[in-house]
Amino acid sequence: MHREIIRRGMDSYDVAHLKGRARIKDWEAARQKCQEIRREAVNHLDRYLLQFEEKVVARGGHVFWAANSEEACTYVKSLATRLGVRTVVKSKSMVTEEIHLSPVLEKAGIKVWETDLGEFIVQLREEPPYHIVTPAMHLNRGQIAQLFREKLDPAIATDDPRDLMAVARRKLREAFFAAEMGISGANFLVADTGVIAISTNEGNGRLCTSVPRIHVVVTGIEKVIPRLEDLAVLWPVLATSGTGQGITTYGTLIGGPRRPGEADGPEEFHVVLVDNGRSQLLGDSEQREVLHCIRCGACLNICPVFRHIGGHTYGTTYPGPIGSVLTPHLDGIARFKHLSYASSLCGACTSVCPVKIDLAHHLLQNRRNATEAGATKSSERMMFRAWRSVMLHPRIYALGGWSARTALRIVYGLGLAGSIVDPMRVWNRYRSPVPLPSESFRARWRKDLDAN
Amino acid sequence: MQTREAQTENPSRERILERIRAGLRTVVPQPAPLASDRVIFEPVANPLERFQQECVSNLMECALTADTAASARQLSEVLQSLPAGEIFVQDDPSLRRLIELAAPARAIRWSSEGAPSEASQATITLAEALIAQTGSILVTASCGGRGASVIAPCHIVYANTAQLVPDLAAALGRASEERILDRNSFACVISGSSRTADIEKILVQGAHGPRRLVVILENGS
Amino acid sequence: MPCFVDQLLPEVAVDTVKVLRRVGYAVEFPEDQTCCGQPALNTGYWDEARPCAEHFVRVFKNADLVVCPSGSCVSVIRVFYPELLAHSPLREDAISLASRTFEFSEFLVKVAGVTQVGATFRHSVTYHASCHGLRELKLREEPLQLLRQVDGLKLVEMVRFEECCGFGGTFAAKFADISGAMGNSKADSVDATGAEFVTAIDPSCLMHLQGILGKRRAAARTIYLASVLASQASSNPTNQAPANQGPAQGKS
Repeated sequence: MHREIIRRGMDSYDVAHLKGRARIKDWEAARQKCQEIRREAVNHLDRYLLQFEEKVVARGGHVFWAANSEEACTYVKSLATRLGVRTVVKSKSMVTEEIHLSPVLEKAGIKVWETDLGEFIVQLREEPPYHIVTPAMHLNRGQIAQLFREKLDPAIATDDPRDLMAVARRKLREAFFAAEMGISGANFLVADTGVIAISTNEGNGRLCTSVPRIHVVVTGIEKVIPRLEDLAVLWPVLATSGTGQGITTYGTLIGGPRRPGEADGPEEFHVVLVDNGRSQLLGDSEQREVLHCIRCGACLNICPVFRHIGGHTYGTTYPGPIGSVLTPHLDGIARFKHLSYASSLCGACTSVCPVKIDLAHHLLQNRRNATEAGATKSSERMMFRAWRSVMLHPRIYALGGWSARTALRIVYGLGLAGSIVDPMRVWNRYRSPVPLPSESFRARWRKDLDAN
Repeated sequence: MQTREAQTENPSRERILERIRAGLRTVVPQPAPLASDRVIFEPVANPLERFQQECVSNLMECALTADTAASARQLSEVLQSLPAGEIFVQDDPSLRRLIELAAPARAIRWSSEGAPSEASQATITLAEALIAQTGSILVTASCGGRGASVIAPCHIVYANTAQLVPDLAAALGRASEERILDRNSFACVISGSSRTADIEKILVQGAHGPRRLVVILENGS
Repeated sequence: MPCFVDQLLPEVAVDTVKVLRRVGYAVEFPEDQTCCGQPALNTGYWDEARPCAEHFVRVFKNADLVVCPSGSCVSVIRVFYPELLAHSPLREDAISLASRTFEFSEFLVKVAGVTQVGATFRHSVTYHASCHGLRELKLREEPLQLLRQVDGLKLVEMVRFEECCGFGGTFAAKFADISGAMGNSKADSVDATGAEFVTAIDPSCLMHLQGILGKRRAAARTIYLASVLASQASSNPTNQAPANQGPAQGKS
């Protein structure tokens, strides 16, 4: 059932995605433009970050640079406790997942409400998000209704998504208006105007950043773009790649706390810039472009491996191809190198990435880097050394091939296919056995086909 | 420029900047830029027509009116379709006049009094611009504040056709030129009612924000 | 010729030679060739892949044109050899070889300039777009142009025909469950077309897919592109499939 739910979700994305693409006249030109914008930003990261910071500070906002998860969490926690915050409303931010912010705040006695519907759902289930854009895509309406009955209101008698949304809306509205602090992420940091840009649909992000008296933005340092006008192409491309929409419902720009004369808005505005390994990636001449990622989720949506195993199996904040490529840099290659092998290298991710990150080749580079770092199994290393010796000697290779075929024919002839003595037993678990011709091609060539 | 005090409070700032500069010293090959004749979006030939079409796909309501009297009648109609209760209106002379003409039998809270109440049935604001390409309205904090476009179940925008710009590039370009974000802490490009597809990828209109977004679009300048 | 074709699927190469000769090319098979190095390359063992690549470059150094019935092997040679051998004394030879190496369908359409090769194959066939040929070599139309010219062949399109079959080389061993699941998804797409055969330009995909189809006793069977093109009205009675497909067991 799980695969069926995921498959239906992905199919509806496929249809929407193509419709979204049709609104863009020259998709390849759009991709290239987005790549150029992000490349320009990342290649001058210090300059653009400083420009952004200057403008935010001039408006009375605060910018805090956090080297790692602990520093970021400590800053937010101290701020909250200093200002007497008891309730926080959060809109979606993958970086807050990455730094594990919620547990830190909750341990300090602060109640944290995830307000994005998908995040709200997985928070109630006490599990991490399944997908960076649609966190609860692995659940069907019946499961969600049951969850709401258990955790919110036993009287819920419906599993209609509209009614379930209404339940969530009523519950979270209390939180929006009671919370002292709203925490959001940012899709982009616009350097020339010093604003953050957030792309959303639900309106929860709008409420988190309008109602509570303190607004905290937690974001990665790599999110900068040079100019406000860059959003003219980034916004539609992000929406198309992420959900197949032409543009998300709300493209919000925030530059500071409320100004005198404004009817409402937070009194304090803080931007926490998180490094956590990103600056290391800048020096990697092959993989610096991984920092161009705009977190659209297109690579997850197209990856056949992701479609089969889903987000939780990765065990990391960022799943899918971008997660496999990025996580070793954030967390160290030895611990997460296995992710780069969980791929058939089909290249679909590379073909859809709206900023043209060559994800498939980066997965391959990670494999090469793991081998060079000595982080692979010694049995595997020995196997490939033996393989190399065979392949450098044509006669040994030919003899080896003949022997293997003959041995397999004997094993299968004895009815031992799939047994412990069958070297192809992994293959045979899912497939009927490979053919075992009596003659290799080279033997045929010598016999029949060599015209000379 | 961060003060010395801020620098000592945030020692990682210099360290991170140093790491960034060190990383950027690595040379990465740069491919050729995009040819300037590549057109990414089809140019918008008829902004009014395109805006109306996009409103339909965005599930927005767009009512074209001939003059202020017609706009007031349109406003009355919308308000009558809503449950009883207070409405929040941006305090602007054109909206004062519109409300006077429409004379709704409701309590009105003006933006000059502060933020909208949580129980507002509708909010009424102006917009900075209308964007034809995406069927969007551009609002800022000057349009009644941040909550005005998100708190109530129905958001009504009073605009006129002279505010139409063809596309996002034009809208954002003008916003930059006019330094809108120097005068406002907040701006938002809104392209429909709030929505979610987080449950089984089924579209539900009206999530945490408004379920209805109504544009009363008056002809003229 | 791919190492696994040499050992397990010789008919793939036999039929490739047949078609190349039919369109007028003299074909040589240098017997010292072994493997392009893909398994080691893709698993990250570039130090082991490198000498293999150098051996390959030496073997084919003097060939005018190199044709290979495998999109993935040709990708390795064209896309990765220049990088793999960047510091090798054979670097220039590798770059030169890369420009003279072609996948089979690519060769017919872009070098030989033919799409009509006098083939007859009176069966329904669906096409699977193998990943390397599609995304590394950008071969989209060429195999289809050839199939459309085959007399009597009914070409049926399958949904998600560009989705990976799940083989992926060592991936099939390391992540056998996912590989099997992806293969079965692909087999579902094949089944849905009702076609008698599924073809592709990568025999590794077909070998994996034939195993999956065989295990589930599917109606469809795999056939390599050259085997379709080698088929002629006189040489292949229409009620008997060409011999190069997988084992006969598992037929429904």
